[in-house]
Amino acid sequence: MSKKETQPAMHIRRTAGDRVFDTCVIVLFLAFTFICIFPFYYLLINTISDNDLVTSGRVNFFPMLKNAAGDAVFGVQINNYLALRNVQDLGSSILVTVARTLLGTALMVVTSAWAGYLVTKQKMWKRSFWYRFLVITMYFNAGLVPWYMNMLMMGLTDNFLAYIIPGMVAPYNIILVKTYIESIPGSLEESAVIDGAGTLKVWLKIILPLSVPILATIAIFGAVGNWNSFQDSLLLMNNRPDLYTLQHRLYIYLNSSSNLGAMMSQGGTVSEQAAASMLNQRVIQYTVSMVSIIPILLVYPFMQRYFVKGIMLGAVKG
Amino acid sequence: MQGTAKAGIPAAERQSAGLKAPLWLFRLTALAAGMAIFFPPVNPGRISEKINSAASLFTTGISRDTITNSMGRILRSQWIQDQDITLLMIACVVTMVGVLACAAGACMSLGNRKMRKTGLILPIAGAPVAGAGLLLIHKAYQNMTAHGEEVGKLDTIKIMLPDGFTVFCVFAGLLFVTGLIAFLTTRPEKDPAVKMEMEEKYRLFLMMLPVIILSFIFAYLPIWGWRFAFFDYKPGGAIGPENYVGLKWFGSLFNDPATMNDLGRVLRNTLIMSGLGIATSWLPIAFAVLLAEIRSTKFQRTIQTLTTIPNFISWVLVYAIAICIFSTDGFINSFLTNVLHRTGANTNYLQIADHTWLKMLLWGTWKGVGWSAIIYIAGIAGIDQQLYEAARVDGANRFRCIWHITIPGLIPTYMVMLLMSIAGILSNGMEQYLVFENAMNKDVIEVLDLYVYHIGIGQNQIPLSTVVGISKSLIGVTLLFSANGISKAVRGESII
Repeated sequence: MSKKETQPAMHIRRTAGDRVFDTCVIVLFLAFTFICIFPFYYLLINTISDNDLVTSGRVNFFPMLKNAAGDAVFGVQINNYLALRNVQDLGSSILVTVARTLLGTALMVVTSAWAGYLVTKQKMWKRSFWYRFLVITMYFNAGLVPWYMNMLMMGLTDNFLAYIIPGMVAPYNIILVKTYIESIPGSLEESAVIDGAGTLKVWLKIILPLSVPILATIAIFGAVGNWNSFQDSLLLMNNRPDLYTLQHRLYIYLNSSSNLGAMMSQGGTVSEQAAASMLNQRVIQYTVSMVSIIPILLVYPFMQRYFVKGIMLGAVKG
Repeated sequence: MQGTAKAGIPAAERQSAGLKAPLWLFRLTALAAGMAIFFPPVNPGRISEKINSAASLFTTGISRDTITNSMGRILRSQWIQDQDITLLMIACVVTMVGVLACAAGACMSLGNRKMRKTGLILPIAGAPVAGAGLLLIHKAYQNMTAHGEEVGKLDTIKIMLPDGFTVFCVFAGLLFVTGLIAFLTTRPEKDPAVKMEMEEKYRLFLMMLPVIILSFIFAYLPIWGWRFAFFDYKPGGAIGPENYVGLKWFGSLFNDPATMNDLGRVLRNTLIMSGLGIATSWLPIAFAVLLAEIRSTKFQRTIQTLTTIPNFISWVLVYAIAICIFSTDGFINSFLTNVLHRTGANTNYLQIADHTWLKMLLWGTWKGVGWSAIIYIAGIAGIDQQLYEAARVDGANRFRCIWHITIPGLIPTYMVMLLMSIAGILSNGMEQYLVFENAMNKDVIEVLDLYVYHIGIGQNQIPLSTVVGISKSLIGVTLLFSANGISKAVRGESII
């Protein structure tokens, strides 16, 4: 249809071909967006519906509950979420994941801010060498097994610190911070130095407040990365199931063929066992999935404004 | 004298030009010793095999739990006495203090003459302190041995002098000698008005040093693990001349039929999946260009927001979603059964190995296309609007505008992305394939990264997996530099 379009200029008036094209584009995007969103919605309604209806596949588009007569009617319940308290090992993995997200992100941001500031200092001894020393690690790694053997050697297996310390130096984030700080007028820093402020003070009082936007960017991406972390837990925590991250725990739940009811706390009270029987394997899987998605969806609106900054600055390499 | 003092370091350096060697040796030793404190393999305090092998000197000094966590019975039965453990901990702390004093001295030795002279007193005092700490460790070792003999449990408590003890003795000796020489060859600052100062370049460097050390430990030190490729290493075993096998494992990539077979299959999967990814790498551009054609910015932004969400969930969660849509009791089947009233709809689509490559591509696209498009959306926003106006005046319709303005405007970014993905053709990560892997699709889904994980961590074939990892790293670096070279030659811009 584009070939037939002959009308020049005056593009504000749309031809019939234009309109068809626009409609197609819109339909295409709506379809793709639906595909992106529907699974999350479907997951959600499966966790807040009646579990029997879920098991028999009667929850397709809306959350359903049974009424007194046993028919499926629209409705929601949150008992599955409450029953998660009894799912074994879930609590510790949530705690570990929250702890690593908070601590790991905070340390990473501070380190990136500090290193990113220092590498802007032309006066540093062998500055460009050390900068390259840091940056080159982005493009090169020794391989999974040597890395694992190194962590073993450092005593970082079965150790919570393994979640935090290796992630502190993030070269990409250092580049982002450096690029950002370079865009801050140097005169601000100079005047502080003239007033007698040392490097640390300049960093604390001038640089940090001014680089809040970029620090927020790396913090939010770092937090999401920490929350989603799975591989290090899988590789390093073989003997410490209590240190598994949430994603690792979920991975185990998803792969356990046995009924997860068996994973509920053993020997609970009668009411706990009743709660346990309410949950079947699928519902536990769905509910735990939902629990690990919700925090991401909650920070998502705040993240959005940093997307472009995060990507674009990275393209401007140091 | 006044003049040289004012000139500060340069004059001092000129004077001691011939004697820099001990000073640098001292600094390097102090750096190494300072790092060794946190290094479990050279823990001088591990005087019993029952002490956690993952404990460094630092941990041994501060955490009683770490020392004792695998000696419950030994302690309860008093085969090792509490007081000896306390002695050991004190000894470790003393050693540590001595070494750290040397390290501080090494930092100060970067300052002006006055600072250097003062700083170099630290190793002269600190190295003997470290030595005293080592003597105390030895004392604890003797006490434990004596007591162990007394109760006849020497075999159980396994007292030994670790390698780290020797290492630290060498450190202490070296630090003392080099520190002393450096001290004696540094002439004292005669002018009392000169203050202790450090040139800014060294000050900044010292501030940076912790970051550099961390980066070294976690990004460079793993390369030391490449040595496993040259030995017949078994987990828990040792490496030494007796199991050195040279390039045997490298050879096995080319002459061991089973390995070659596996590698061929894995490489095929890797290259096909990466190839499919590269072949569809224009999709984000199409996404961005088409999205830009929608007039309502509100609609645009909503679409962009919603299609980016999948990028931020982990592959495990993607798999959870896959289960809830495609498994036996997932959406597809229950939709077929309960809405379309088909009978017998209970296929578990995840267990079907057909079209695995394509499915993986689709999952990757589902997760990534919205996110990848953002950089192009930003690129489109950055294109000069005057170009479009001029084109329209010249009679171009919107498709011509896209073809002649938008696309060429995005090509540079696309080239960078393309070159990067070509450079990373062997690394498609393992998470996606690990979570979707099952008994049915194992043969077609296993990519190189997953293979390394399976043989290295799963089957404990450390040497072979190291060899595969080394080859992959080297090829990756070569590809990256080639891509960079091409980029430089063609576009006059480097990508790394």
